[in-house]
Amino acid sequence: MFEWLFDPRYYPLILQGLTLTVEITLFGVFLGLLLGTLLAIGDIYGGKLVRGIIAVYVEFFRGSPLFVQLLIAVYTVPAILNLQIDHYLLAFLVFGLNSAGYQKGYMKGSMQTILDDQMAAGTSVGMSKVQTLRHVILPQAYRIVIPSWTNEFCSLTKSTSTLAFIGLLDLTGAGLSIKGATMQILPVWIVIGAIYLVWITGFSKIMDIIYEKKKIPGVELIMQ
Amino acid sequence: MDGWQQLIFLLEGVPLTLSISIFSFLIGIAVGLPLAFIRVYEKEIGFVVDAYEKIWRGIPEIVLLLLIYFGLGPYFPFPFGNAFFVACFVLGLRSGANQSQIYRGAIRGVGDEQMIAGSSVGFSKWNSIWHIMIPQVFTFSTPGLASEYALLIKDSAYVYVIGLAEVTTRSLQLKAMPPVDFVTPFVLAAVIYIALTFPIAFTLDRWGNRRKKKIGL
Amino acid sequence: MTEYVMEARHVYKTYRIKGTKKEDTKIVEAVKDVSLQIRKGDIKLIFGPSGSGKSTFLRCMAMLDIPDKGEIYLGDQCLTKPGVDLNKARARIGFVFQHIYLFRHLTALGNVELALRKVLKLPKEEARKRALAALEEVKVTECINKYPSQLSGGQAQRVGIARAIVRSPDIILLDEPTSALDPELTGEVIDTLRDLAKEGTTMLIVSHEMPFARDVAEEMIFYDEGHIIETGPPSLFFNAPNTDRAKQFMTRIINRTTRE
Repeated sequence: MFEWLFDPRYYPLILQGLTLTVEITLFGVFLGLLLGTLLAIGDIYGGKLVRGIIAVYVEFFRGSPLFVQLLIAVYTVPAILNLQIDHYLLAFLVFGLNSAGYQKGYMKGSMQTILDDQMAAGTSVGMSKVQTLRHVILPQAYRIVIPSWTNEFCSLTKSTSTLAFIGLLDLTGAGLSIKGATMQILPVWIVIGAIYLVWITGFSKIMDIIYEKKKIPGVELIMQ
Repeated sequence: MDGWQQLIFLLEGVPLTLSISIFSFLIGIAVGLPLAFIRVYEKEIGFVVDAYEKIWRGIPEIVLLLLIYFGLGPYFPFPFGNAFFVACFVLGLRSGANQSQIYRGAIRGVGDEQMIAGSSVGFSKWNSIWHIMIPQVFTFSTPGLASEYALLIKDSAYVYVIGLAEVTTRSLQLKAMPPVDFVTPFVLAAVIYIALTFPIAFTLDRWGNRRKKKIGL
Repeated sequence: MTEYVMEARHVYKTYRIKGTKKEDTKIVEAVKDVSLQIRKGDIKLIFGPSGSGKSTFLRCMAMLDIPDKGEIYLGDQCLTKPGVDLNKARARIGFVFQHIYLFRHLTALGNVELALRKVLKLPKEEARKRALAALEEVKVTECINKYPSQLSGGQAQRVGIARAIVRSPDIILLDEPTSALDPELTGEVIDTLRDLAKEGTTMLIVSHEMPFARDVAEEMIFYDEGHIIETGPPSLFFNAPNTDRAKQFMTRIINRTTRE
């Protein structure tokens, strides 16, 4: 049943698939973190118009499935713009924008845990709001948000399996190919599942260790 | 098909979406609640709960759907040959893992003092849990549960891979039908999902906040 | 040229506390037509019942809260005029918070240095020298490389004071600096404040530490329900206040003070 595992013909396929999965996930969570921070700041300090736009953005990306967002990106957007756009590029963007929708919430919560007192302290020594955000609030907020960010990473990785169904070669896509070639269904999916499990659990464990080292004692984000 | 007909075609998938998400949510409660209490109150077998949560956190739902439906289905057509069952099974157990975490946080938030108070009036451990902890735990968990339910509605889109004709599957069917329309099916699908997730999360949240303030949490 | 380091003229400040329902919103008139002048070297202490608005008034002086009406002057500069660079102004005011509010991700040294580097734009070595000098002055040199979570309340608050004085501000405002501390730890903070007073630092303190008030304050200001009710030297309040409300308050306080 598992003979195909020892056939090196399939290794490049798995490797290629795993690479794409890892690339898109990491790009997605990091772009999501950056954009999410901007959205959070905009939501805290922006006027009604800005907050309205952010609310619509977040509602769209959090209210609909990532799968549907991918379909829109890959089919609808090129059709409307009448352009041919590389599907890989679109996939990277969608995962980043989607993650930002969730991470805005995490960053906002993280910032608000410390915002009032640390902003008062920062302005009391003469720093501007921007300076305080940059040197006092964000350094702390990024540490507080690590557990939520790690959770988002796990979530996003699992969602990448949808890429196989828009024709991209991610780990699940590799599984589909191998399954088709070897006709071994159960063993293939067990192995693919195990690879995902190792990748996600391993990365989470590393992030947990980093969090233990970097966390600010006495301050934790209460997940809402 | 024109816009309205497409909309109706998609809406016909909504009952399936809702039933999958509702069943999965209920399975999630049935699994998650006991797991949470076991994790908090019976520390020796707590590692089982941790392992369970890790597995569901670490393997994509799509892979599990494919594995069970196409891998086990042929050998055990009942029940794993039934796509609806497999869908609720996978999403339900996944939800159980998420809900276990939510309830665990809520149990800690409600506080051990409540259990002590229960024993002081003569309740046994499990009686205290049933009569005192569980009602408060649910109230405390409403925001988390609201987002978990919204998540289930969205993840129901995954069942496309095992061929259930819910909203996302239908949108892809529409794309394949002439005339060529890559815009309407998917945009409408997104709107339908947003329409489904927005009010539910919103009202569950409000209801929970009001109850929380009433009992002074 | 004004002779006052800081002046408040007819300041008003109201804020709203939101309840669960719209009807539950409370309106608190924390500052109602309050005026105050502070000269160089003054040590004034504001005291009064909790919730009377003293802290709010102090924050208005530092422009941490913006007054609804009235003017705040720092020297000749009017801070409440629109278009004023508040950050520059706040760099000339030192503020010490009741709950300390140290920057938790920085060491004690880092906390004191930060404004010197980022606001006054001093080079690294000079910022470090001045920060170390300030920390030495408040006597926490053993803590310089520790993080706020590793400090006792008294040590943390002294670092907070160092952070406030390191910029050699024109005036230091202290908002109940010892109220959040355990009683055993307040002594170290009070000693630090005594030293600062001896050196001639201009201070405006909100506090209910009566022994400190009696020994160090030059003028005491009784504040209740948004108004300044009575002012005078400590001897006035501790022996025979003029107003009834001040008399009531002092009687209650003196009965409660068991530490002397």
